[in-house]
Amino acid sequence: MIAIDSINVSVGGRKILHDVSMEAPAGKLTAIIGPNGSGKSTLLKALCRDYAYSGTIFLDGRDIATMSPVEIAGLRAVLPQSSNLPFPFTVREVVAMGLTAGRPGVHPRALQHLPEEALARVDLSGFGARFYGELSGGEQQRVQLARVLCQVWEPVIDGVPRYLFLDEPVSSLDIKHQLMIMDVAKSFARSGGGVIAVLHDLNLTALYADAITALREGQVVASGRPEAVLTDAVLEAVFDVPLKVGAAPKPGTPFVLPHSVQLTKARQVA
Amino acid sequence: MAGTMTLPASDILARPAGDRSHIGRITVIGLVFALLAAMVLSMTTGASGASAVNLIRHWLGFGTDDTAALRDYAVIVNIRMPRMILGVLIGAGLAVSGLLMQGLFRNPLADPGLVGVSSGAALGAVIIIVLGGTALAPFTTALGIWSLPAAAFGGGLLTTFVLYRVATRGGQTAIATMLLAGIAIGALAGAFSGVLTYIASENQLRDLTFWGMGSLAGATWIKVLAAGPIIFGALAVAGFLAKGLNAMTLGEATASHLGVPVQRFKRITIVAVAAATGASVAVSGGIAFVGIVVPHLLRLIIGPDHRYLLPATALLGATFLLFCDALSRTIVAPAELPIGIVTAAFGGPFFLWILLHRRSAFAW
Repeated sequence: MIAIDSINVSVGGRKILHDVSMEAPAGKLTAIIGPNGSGKSTLLKALCRDYAYSGTIFLDGRDIATMSPVEIAGLRAVLPQSSNLPFPFTVREVVAMGLTAGRPGVHPRALQHLPEEALARVDLSGFGARFYGELSGGEQQRVQLARVLCQVWEPVIDGVPRYLFLDEPVSSLDIKHQLMIMDVAKSFARSGGGVIAVLHDLNLTALYADAITALREGQVVASGRPEAVLTDAVLEAVFDVPLKVGAAPKPGTPFVLPHSVQLTKARQVA
Repeated sequence: MAGTMTLPASDILARPAGDRSHIGRITVIGLVFALLAAMVLSMTTGASGASAVNLIRHWLGFGTDDTAALRDYAVIVNIRMPRMILGVLIGAGLAVSGLLMQGLFRNPLADPGLVGVSSGAALGAVIIIVLGGTALAPFTTALGIWSLPAAAFGGGLLTTFVLYRVATRGGQTAIATMLLAGIAIGALAGAFSGVLTYIASENQLRDLTFWGMGSLAGATWIKVLAAGPIIFGALAVAGFLAKGLNAMTLGEATASHLGVPVQRFKRITIVAVAAATGASVAVSGGIAFVGIVVPHLLRLIIGPDHRYLLPATALLGATFLLFCDALSRTIVAPAELPIGIVTAAFGGPFFLWILLHRRSAFAW
């Protein structure tokens, strides 16, 4: 369980997060949604200790401020939004960096072929010998995900769950790979690990999230099960546009239908 | 087809596509032998005609001429051997310094010589040469033979630190800022050195000129003792930085997510660079190009994985410097070319050739 207890974050003198609290249990995919500048990525960066924060963040009951970088690296892996490399690494070499850093949790003999397995999971089999710098943005993002998966390959080791932090994991992917990557995240959660994902696509969120935290202007507006958060009222309050939540053909799964980008009357007046 | 070699299946399975670690291992082993060969070359070439073979024969009782053996002993043990050891340490030290800076700044152009660290180290050395007998006498008395390398280390450390603070914002180093800051720092250090040269006495001027030419010619056991432990220490520390350097290429934030204690890692790297560069500059006067050519060439052969790149860089740096030193002693024998001229004359065109032919291998 990742538990965030009323954290505040200021960046460059501006307060970005105000008393944000949320929980992300193991075994669940927790999505963070909100408009641009609402503090989603800042929240994730605070979780990764990239930003200083006041308040407390617990990882399975332990204050992460008291843990060493190596210790944390064995318990959670982070997918960055984008990465460019200054040196000509091959795809396989990038993925293998996840092996040396984290704790994959597999037998040493299986370790050698783990990068290939990870590449297969993100639909990049046969890309091992390509140069990372020569891939498209979406392919690079999937290589990074393969690296991150290697770091925490087994979602649970000795009964201790591990976590994936994903910052807009599907932002530059086509629809097939969006679904594929969300499937990977979901199956990580199904196997007992925890996933926290910053997501922009509300329909993907509806489709995959087990729990949703909605941010607006650095504050939590709503938090809970998708049915509770993905409602007309909440979404309008969060995103400032009239959004109607409908039901997908498959019963029980909510979906989002954008109508227009015009602001609601109430907001326009304000 | 007859004569086609078939790799055993297990071999193919054991080497996934894109895994270049076997090339790294083979290269490191090959370079060990290359360095051994260069060490032998360094011990056996020179203007005097002293022969190690004759000396060994003499020791074994086959020799005939005692005076010749004594002379050979003097040349080989007192002149060539410290020179060879210094060559190994300085070559490895400068090459590894370049590699560490490139990894730290996430930029293949970073090099202590190009971005002003050597100038800072040189300023430290000049200060000791000029003021060591007067204003800084307590310092030189306290540190003895280590005062020159220590001052050069201090100068290098300060420069690297200022450079990093100026050029790096939010974990990203701006390449233009870094080069410009390096030029500014280099100019500033050069100006101070110029002032010191201006007030230097005649004897000090001779020392400065001799020292500044960039040469291994003045190698003595004292210099080995003064600079050796510092460079050796820096190299030993660098050996532990390989994994962290790999992680740092993904960016500082990602490196920390991978478990690297980034702030401490950066501090250690900066100190190691300053120590190796400073001590090298203190005893050799600054030798250009080793730190940029050697890592680049090796990255093209074995890739940028620092677990292999680091030892390979140290080995090739040492080999390259010994080779250039042997050339500098023989090309205009009995006179000597300063080794800096040879490394630049070789390194410059070679570097241009790499850039022309393998542009695609540079990911920037």
